[in-house]
Amino acid sequence: MRRRSDWQTRRCIVVIPAFNEQRDIEQVVREVRRVSGFPVLVVDDCSTDRTRELARRAGAEVLPLSQQLGAWGALQTGLRHACLGGYEYALTMDADGQHEAVWIDKLFEPVIKGEADVSIGCCVRRGSKLRKVAWVMLKAASGLRMEDITSGFRVYNREAMELLSGREATLLEYQDVGVLVLLKNAGLHLVDVDVTMLPRTSGTSRVYHSWLVVAYYMAHTLLLGFSKRVRR
Amino acid sequence: MLSWVTGFIGIVAALTIILLIRRDHLHVRYGLWWIVVAAAFVLLGVFPQIIDWLAARLGIAYGPVLALTLGLTVFVIKVLTIDIARSRNETRIIRLIQRIAMLEAEVNRLREQVEASPDAQAPIAAPLPPDQRHTGEAGAD
Repeated sequence: MRRRSDWQTRRCIVVIPAFNEQRDIEQVVREVRRVSGFPVLVVDDCSTDRTRELARRAGAEVLPLSQQLGAWGALQTGLRHACLGGYEYALTMDADGQHEAVWIDKLFEPVIKGEADVSIGCCVRRGSKLRKVAWVMLKAASGLRMEDITSGFRVYNREAMELLSGREATLLEYQDVGVLVLLKNAGLHLVDVDVTMLPRTSGTSRVYHSWLVVAYYMAHTLLLGFSKRVRR
Repeated sequence: MLSWVTGFIGIVAALTIILLIRRDHLHVRYGLWWIVVAAAFVLLGVFPQIIDWLAARLGIAYGPVLALTLGLTVFVIKVLTIDIARSRNETRIIRLIQRIAMLEAEVNRLREQVEASPDAQAPIAAPLPPDQRHTGEAGAD
């Protein structure tokens, strides 16, 4: 048997929010379980396909939401569950196979060493020109300096998990600017970790799929970022 | 004539509020606010000179402008407080939905544990047929 790395001996849970991800969920769950050995929690955001069943079959525990809460609402459910379960760390990733389990090792490093409370797997190369313009605007409004603010490939330590499980994080709709500003303003340390990401093979981004949604997302996030701007 | 119309609106509003409370369509707490609004309508309808007097004290030449401005301001504040309350309610609902999901997962885990144990006599409770699970239909939430 392979020698377990330091991070693999930690009490960590993998949280994957999922909405209609039947094409990839099984593979994603199996892969992350194989690489990390951690228990996997899939938060099912009212999928209408076989996501729930396939996630269970792949060995994940499933939290079934009775009403749709959106990406962040689902993820927060997982973090609350992880806090109650006494986990020290939570690894979050997307259900669509964009995030590669091989990078988990690198992602854990700064958090395990105590250099950061949250590490964010960032892939600056991804994204169109338009998305980059959006990132620049969002960073300017919020005062954040992260490279990839929208990445959902992250490791949170216990302190960050508890903060994000709280009421003040409940009304957020996305896991980017609002969550990062909340963490920053609480004095937590965030680091970027360079990773590569696979192109999305199925489904569409829950944010960037129609002009109206993009417009709402930008207006929403700019106002949120500006209102809660990072204190320096 | 206008004062009669205003007074009449106030009385109809007050009666409507009482009817709504009577039929449990309106929480008494909110009914109180609307009764105050209705009373203000009646008062200003019967004594329109109150507005003129107040306008004169504030140096406003045309009284009705003051009435409209005040009315609109109160209205905007009221609507804003409704949205604040809505946000608070939304937080509560989201946290409840999350809690239910967590409890449901826990119940499933315990049920599987019980069913898997060799000395299991009978399931704790009959599991719901699959088509009734988390459908969001009557009884599910």
